[in-house]
Amino acid sequence: MSAPLTAQPGAPAAEPSAVTPVIDTRALTKRYPGPVTALDALTVTVAPGITGLVGANGAGKSTLIKILLGLLEPTGGEARVLGRDCQRDGEQIRGLTGYMPEHDCLPPDVTATEFVTHLGRISGLPPTAAKERAAESLRHVGLYEERYRQIGTYSTGMKQRVKLAQALVGDPRLLLLDEPTVGLDPAGRNSMLELIARIGAEFGISIVVASHLLGEIERICDHLVAIEAGRLLRADTITSMTQVSQVLLIDVDEGSEALLAELSRRGLDPRRHERSLLVGLDDDATYDAVRDAIADLALPLNRLEQRRRRVEELFADDPGTPEALTGASVGGTGGTGGIDGPGSTPEAPHVR
Amino acid sequence: MSTIELRNVSRWYGNVVAVNDITMTIGPGVTGLLGPNGAGKSTVLHLIAGFLAPSRGAVTVGDVPSWRNPGIYRTVGLVPERDSVYAFLTGEEFVLATARLHELADPAGAARRAIAIVDMADAQDRRISTYSKGMRQRIKVAAALVHDPQVLLLDEPFNGMDPRQRLHMLDLLTKLGAEGRTILLSSHILEEVERLADTIQVIVSGRLAASGDFRAIRRLMTSRPHVFLVRTSDDRLLGSALIGRPAVAGVELTNGGLQVRASDYGTFSRELAVLARDQGVRLREVLPEDESLESVFEYLIES
Amino acid sequence: MSAETGVIHDIGYRRYTGRRLGRPQIVRALYWHSLRSAFGLGRGAKAKIVPVIIFAIMCLPAIANAVAVANGNARLVPYDTYVFQLRVVLMIIFVAAQAPELVSRDLRSHVLPLYFCRPLRRMDYPLAKLAAFITACLAIIEIPLLLLYVGTVAQSHTPHAIWSQTRALIPGLLVGLMWAVLLAAIGLVLASLSGRRAYATGAIAIYFFLTWILAGILIAVTQRNVPGTVMITPPPGAIRPPGSPPTGPIQVHTMTQVPTTASHLSGLVSPFTTLDGVRLWLGGTSKGPLPGVGGYGALYGVMFLVLLAVSVGGLFARYRKAGAL
Repeated sequence: MSAPLTAQPGAPAAEPSAVTPVIDTRALTKRYPGPVTALDALTVTVAPGITGLVGANGAGKSTLIKILLGLLEPTGGEARVLGRDCQRDGEQIRGLTGYMPEHDCLPPDVTATEFVTHLGRISGLPPTAAKERAAESLRHVGLYEERYRQIGTYSTGMKQRVKLAQALVGDPRLLLLDEPTVGLDPAGRNSMLELIARIGAEFGISIVVASHLLGEIERICDHLVAIEAGRLLRADTITSMTQVSQVLLIDVDEGSEALLAELSRRGLDPRRHERSLLVGLDDDATYDAVRDAIADLALPLNRLEQRRRRVEELFADDPGTPEALTGASVGGTGGTGGIDGPGSTPEAPHVR
Repeated sequence: MSTIELRNVSRWYGNVVAVNDITMTIGPGVTGLLGPNGAGKSTVLHLIAGFLAPSRGAVTVGDVPSWRNPGIYRTVGLVPERDSVYAFLTGEEFVLATARLHELADPAGAARRAIAIVDMADAQDRRISTYSKGMRQRIKVAAALVHDPQVLLLDEPFNGMDPRQRLHMLDLLTKLGAEGRTILLSSHILEEVERLADTIQVIVSGRLAASGDFRAIRRLMTSRPHVFLVRTSDDRLLGSALIGRPAVAGVELTNGGLQVRASDYGTFSRELAVLARDQGVRLREVLPEDESLESVFEYLIES
Repeated sequence: MSAETGVIHDIGYRRYTGRRLGRPQIVRALYWHSLRSAFGLGRGAKAKIVPVIIFAIMCLPAIANAVAVANGNARLVPYDTYVFQLRVVLMIIFVAAQAPELVSRDLRSHVLPLYFCRPLRRMDYPLAKLAAFITACLAIIEIPLLLLYVGTVAQSHTPHAIWSQTRALIPGLLVGLMWAVLLAAIGLVLASLSGRRAYATGAIAIYFFLTWILAGILIAVTQRNVPGTVMITPPPGAIRPPGSPPTGPIQVHTMTQVPTTASHLSGLVSPFTTLDGVRLWLGGTSKGPLPGVGGYGALYGVMFLVLLAVSVGGLFARYRKAGAL
């Protein structure tokens, strides 16, 4: 029988040394005959919370997941999940993790309730507990009366929820979600992302989300692990990868020429950038100067914000021209390992 | 220049009306085709590609009907969603075969160029069965580009691509659109469509719900107040000043700042800085909350 | 008067702190689940049609014989061969129809990764499936035998009679066990080759039927026809062949079918006749499709083990790679 709730919100991004990492690999290598190197001396630590896993191509990602679940032996190095060694304690790890595959994996002629209950039994739950937890998991993912219909009649969004429910049924400490929003339309993606964020925040379960969509990762993840060609490209908190710069961006619907002139006149050295104007943010007085300039000209102000780095910049090809803006320094730390962010052309802000 | 035109096009299957009286024109540049699952986007793409005949109305590509007109495939390239490649061929063989099917004068050269454009020259001699999903997508795009089409139809082209490949593809499509080709892109990833497409066509339940520039579409939704998040040195003071203005429908103090609902966007956007200055309140941040393509799309689906 | 009160209950996520079962129980859960699939339980009425009908028909000879015995006749149906041809046909249908239910469905829906990401070992899956299907085949084969036994014994009035029935039953149960194990293994390995139920059923049915028919043909054609003569005395008043003496015995030419080495070995091509060969080798006396094993009984034993090993090995090998995450 389930015990009373002890809600543990996902731990905020803490120093790796202070908390047991959820995943910990050291020089993890996997070579296949080919010769194909799927993982190449990968060393990464994943803290509790919601972590995005990005950039890994097919071979690297699935190889990593298999090794973490103890289903594949690495060629070299070691890996630990929830403090347990992947090679020795694979079975235990599989009992503590939930996995949501990317591909279709649901039988069409079974109801969601039966299916999730059955998998609950395979997770090691006694019959009554499996039934109860299946019902609870389906409720948490938002499947109500539909759960008594056969899975073959479900929409893509509902099928994704069933996949998530079966990952939750065994009460995992870690969820591995492989491209959870693939195939969903925008509304479905929103729901799924909100659901994942809620699970990470309220259920006390750490989550690793493998996704190619950096927008999603920025939205719900606390940390990011970027892998390229089997190696770690970057591992960092999302906050430090989306830090604000000391550059202020201004969008007016009309009169930008006049505003450019007015801001110059006030000594702010504005620059054009696509539809917007940029000024260096030296101190708080800049805000007031900008405000007054716009007010004087009675221009329609659409947007005013500090420019942020975007996770995407990590993957932009050319280092480009260094940020040549009025001596502005760019926030953002290096994180552990890999190519660093600064040096690439900062992108337009989040949302246009 | 090839323009795609649909005039009063409907397509039904028995009682199911997949496409219901759609009239739209798609010109040069990149156009995004959006809609919820099952809205009829794929049907529209198949109609344009000449795989389906309209039950009613006319579908033309460059003034030529697309149905029963294989000639249009000289100008049209299609990147379908499903895996439609022969996995036992190498990438190069596949694109070369497509080039030959198009009866190009120099199939080998055209194939080489197309493969170079999608940056697959390193992997072209490997079998497609060894490709990752993103690589398969790219080889499909190469095959669609091999005959230098004026019109390009893409159904979820970024599916399976990792971030670097996506950025490449974004650049490629932007470039092709800037060259004056007509590119129709169907995708659920709105943040990418937002950057890529100049115009959008939104289909809901088989009907065309909206077309054009999404920002302009937003401004047309006058019954929906524009929502802004404003961070200042004194939210409450500014808030109380704002609520006194007729252009402002509502004001809410939240943890993230002052949320303002402006019933008259034009007036509000001009008054905000003035009001802040008059009240001596420092404006740190002004963010439009529902002007993104994602918000506009959500509103269109709801209504 | 008490103050009005209200409560908001917390129905958020709850952690599970109860008992967690180990690998043996998980495998057992999969075993029971698969066993239920073999009989279409939990899957709607249509899925039960084939198993139920097969079982019912298989029981008919036992019931018929029990009724006959109750009316004073002797037991006609042997325990070790039962009604051989009927059993062959019914088991082919059952295995071809139901093996895919256990194995092909999971392959088709690609659900295997969801099993392997859980706390059980890869080989537990085929193990549980094999154990379950053997159990299912055992039920179809042995329960009719037991019905036959009970029906006969119910009419026996002496301990000696009961004991002789029991002594005859045991080998029959043993033969049935061999049948169940071999047919289940072959059926599952063939079914595991395809996710499409139609293909799997077809492959199993074709294999079993073709080899069975082939064995029958081979046994028939390899027998030698030996001519001979025999003296018989026709009853009075019968018509005598021309040229024969009007009274007394006459000479009649006969043709006897005699098995050759080839016929002794023909049974090896089919699992059913192989099983019969093992039965004969182990001392079975009832008449079956094989005209004796002629000293090659050990070969049949070896063939049985080879077929079993190849099937079980093939089944486990199949799941070493399949369903990779």
